[in-house]
This record gives sequence, C-alpha cells and structure tokens, in this order.
Amino acid sequence: MKRFITLLALLAAPAAAQDFSEGSEAKTWNLYAEVPALFEATVVDATCEITGDCPANCGDGKRQLGLLRSADNVLVYPNKNSQPAFTGAAVELLPFCGQTVEVDGLLIEDPDLSATNIYLVQKVRTKGTEEWTKANQWTKVWAENHPDAKGKGPWFRRDPRVNARIDTTGYLGIGLSHEEAYEAVQ
Amino acid sequence: MTYFFRPLAVLAAALAASPAAFAAEGTRVQVRGEIIDTWCYYSGVMGGPESVVGTAHHTCALWCSAGGIPVGLLAEDGTVYMVLKIEGDDGNAGGDTQLSLASHEITADGIHYERDGLNYLVVEEVVTDHGITNVNHEDFGAIPGFAIPDPSK
Repeated sequence: MKRFITLLALLAAPAAAQDFSEGSEAKTWNLYAEVPALFEATVVDATCEITGDCPANCGDGKRQLGLLRSADNVLVYPNKNSQPAFTGAAVELLPFCGQTVEVDGLLIEDPDLSATNIYLVQKVRTKGTEEWTKANQWTKVWAENHPDAKGKGPWFRRDPRVNARIDTTGYLGIGLSHEEAYEAVQ
Repeated sequence: MTYFFRPLAVLAAALAASPAAFAAEGTRVQVRGEIIDTWCYYSGVMGGPESVVGTAHHTCALWCSAGGIPVGLLAEDGTVYMVLKIEGDDGNAGGDTQLSLASHEITADGIHYERDGLNYLVVEEVVTDHGITNVNHEDFGAIPGFAIPDPSK
C-alpha cells in the first residue's frame, strides 16, 4: 500500500530541482550555469524514450542517448563528453545501453536560456561496479573509423565530412573563399 | 488490493516493463528557426547566445554536429527544440542530414514533444530551407577565434 501511495505522490508532485552534487568529483569547466552532479540512471535511446520509436541497441550509435535518472525519473540529456574537442556523449554511453549506471559530470541549469537537465558526462560506471570509465573515448573511436584521415592536428581539421562542407560553402557557410572569410573576421 | 489501487498497479507494471514508458503523444507544429549546436548555446562555453549562432559560429556548428553534439532548432521566439529526426533520418548523433543544415534557417513541419523542461522536435518535413541568413560574423568575428585558420600559414 505504501508503495502505491509513494507512486501516486511522485506522479502528482511537480518537478522539483534536486541537488545531485553530493559525492561528485566532477571537474569544473568554469561554465556560468554548471552544477556538479553524480547520480544513478538508466541509459536510454532519447528518441525511443520520447517518441516510442525504438530500434535495437539504442540505435547502434546513430542516436543521442539519454539518462533516465533513478531518483526522480527525469530524462537528463547528455550533450557533451569530457573532451574539449567539440564532441558529444552518445559514443561514451552506447556501451551502457539499457544498463543502470552511475554518472559523474556537470549539469547545466540556466533558466535564462531554458537550459535544464543538460549534462556533460565525465565518467560512467555500471551500477554495483567500482571502476569508472572516463567519457573521453570519442576521438579514439573517430580515429578508428577514419583510418584515411590520419595526419597532424585535431580531428575536426581532418574530418572528411566537415571539410567537404567547408570546401563547398566556406568557413562562414556563405560561399566566401578561405582568404575572404579570414579577412572578413579580422 | 483494493479497487482504487488496481489501476496504479497496472501503471507501475507498465512503467517497469516498457523501455519507453513515458513516450507521449506529440503535437503538430510548424516552426521557423536556425539549426544550432546546443552545447555551445546552452553552456555559454564560447560566449553569449547571440555569438554562437549564424555565420560567426558556422564552422564550430559543423564541428559540433559532426562530433555528435545534439543539434537544436532555435525558433524565432527563442525556444530551442532538440531535434530528434529530420525527414526520416534518425541520425541525431552526428548524422549527415543535420550536418548539411548546420546554421541554416529552416521552416520545419513536425511533431513537438515536451519532457522534463526540454522541447523536442521530430522534423517530418523541411518545408523551406532558407539557407544561412544570420550573417553576424562582422559583429562577433569567428567563434571560436581559431575557427578559420590563417590561409598564409
């Protein structure tokens, strides 16, 4: 009986911001609206969770993954992994699809921009295990998938799809040549 | 179990059994706005919201989209819709369709969902691709500043 009353209360209660900073070892990025957050969650396919369209294995890498937080059933949206390299979080979470995990990282809560439940994941581990996995595998996975793009410089200077877009419409996207675009922003 | 609590038991079982127990009915909308990279917009990591859109941020928008950061549709009223699909392409973690629309202003027809304070959008049709219309690099330069390498080097 108590369980049902608790469930009823949870369903009826308005969403309330909770503090998940206790125990977090997340490193700061010195962001205006960052809040350290360590919590337990289930790794889900975000599109599946929202629309009910659910392919196998969370979309097998094509789709963004979400963190369905155990404490309040809130769907947290991981936007970012721990690398300062323009890289998302889906690659880091895919090995944990469907699992209950603990994650540590930074929540972004900025009412001025309506940013809420946005997350930068820094490390993840399956619930009940000791060892953390750092959420910094994106560039390694990219390199494995792009053996022909080896070379100097960061991945984003060598990515074939990005470079094809820049070759077509330029760095500013409006058709200026490299020289023209560079001059235009000086 | 009393008659009163039986529906709750059914609900609890449904919540436990379904991988997408809270999948909801969406609402059809038509929205005009710019395809943005949501991390730079929400986090402020590179500056204010006006600087991480448009031509000033186009190269970074390409990097972030290809890098698997979620893209959003920044509507004219300031609402950000997290884009789940575009015209049947569900590759929202670095997919080709979203990459091809980085920084573009589009008019999208699709299904809007809300969940835990965020807005989500399944774009069923790009009604109009207006191209890149926010020409703001003269105000902000390139964001980040190293986005356009010196062509003389």
